[in-house]
Amino acid sequence: MADARISPHALPDLKSTTDDALANYLRSLHFRQHHAKLDVRLALGYLGVAIAAATFAADYRLGWDATKRWTAVAVCAYAVVNGGFSWWIWQVEGGCVFEGVRGGKKISIASKTNKHDPTYHLAVTDAAGATREVQAPFTAWFTADGFFVARPFQQWLARSVGAIGEADAKNAASDAGGSEGGEIAAESEGFATGSGEAGGVETKGKGGKRLKRKG
Amino acid sequence: MFGSLATLQPRQLAAQVLNFALVLSTAFMLWKGLSVFTDSSSPIVVVLSGSMEPAFQRGDLLFLWNRGQETQVGEVVVYNVRGKDIPIVHRVIRRFGGGSAPLQLLTKGDNNAADDTELYARGQSYLDRSQDVIGSVVGYVPFVGYVTILLSEYPWLKTAMLVFMALTVVLQRE
Repeated sequence: MADARISPHALPDLKSTTDDALANYLRSLHFRQHHAKLDVRLALGYLGVAIAAATFAADYRLGWDATKRWTAVAVCAYAVVNGGFSWWIWQVEGGCVFEGVRGGKKISIASKTNKHDPTYHLAVTDAAGATREVQAPFTAWFTADGFFVARPFQQWLARSVGAIGEADAKNAASDAGGSEGGEIAAESEGFATGSGEAGGVETKGKGGKRLKRKG
Repeated sequence: MFGSLATLQPRQLAAQVLNFALVLSTAFMLWKGLSVFTDSSSPIVVVLSGSMEPAFQRGDLLFLWNRGQETQVGEVVVYNVRGKDIPIVHRVIRRFGGGSAPLQLLTKGDNNAADDTELYARGQSYLDRSQDVIGSVVGYVPFVGYVTILLSEYPWLKTAMLVFMALTVVLQRE
């Protein structure tokens, strides 16, 4: 996965790669992930698909006239299930990318991005129910040519979120903010030549400062 | 291209496949919903021949309504010949029965010299409104139906389109 390259201009790609990395990182820190929300979503979705499949099969075998009434019922049922599915995604999931438990403490993380703004926003809810918002630009852990670098991402997480910092003391403590950000900038070819993509060049130094302050 | 799929957790892969399955299901259920609403087994049909020119051309898309059982002479109806699955779009030129008796119709294409007696099944000399007719035409859009004609004349297009759609939806992460 570290070799996979994405387009650094595509916000959905940046967000989904970062979300996946977040989940992988937390699982590696022995957070036990709860899949309840995703499971309900899959259940609702596949229930709708099952209704549609049954309707298709009945219509194929028995023809239109014989199945008219049941088709009408199925269409209504499908509308209800699909409506529920959409509501679930929109309201309940609300951008949640990770929910899990470690050492008896629950953590819930939702992510979002705003249109045309390459900043990653996280809303972290701890066991007590308090929600904290942190954000960082994607340039802090993506090179200008679109490679994801895990280390600065993990450091930012460990220093911004208390529960993660407790789990990963090494990343939380390392004073890498400025120097490592600079090292990555130097190593990656595209950085210096980046023509205004997400402010790559300008944040070389700023990115480091931003990382430090958030801790 | 498939590398992005390989790194997914099984539940996430299921979610991606679900997206595509829902596209198909929703399209199918919308079609069935329209069928139920119009009470017609095929609420939208494509004109396949030129037998109704100049009123309808080959490739026109027709919208049907099947809840008006008192079809009048002059209405354009779509019917299936008994035993065949090809919809024919022609105009009603005679009617027998109606009211309490079952309504029987004789049809003819505007651009045809003879009426449809030749087209009906063996031994059939009229259409039964309740059994054979799929619906009367209540509206149309010209040309749009040509896509359907292409898809049925080149069946590989159907497969190609479906595969393309599947790849696009399953590989897209939003």
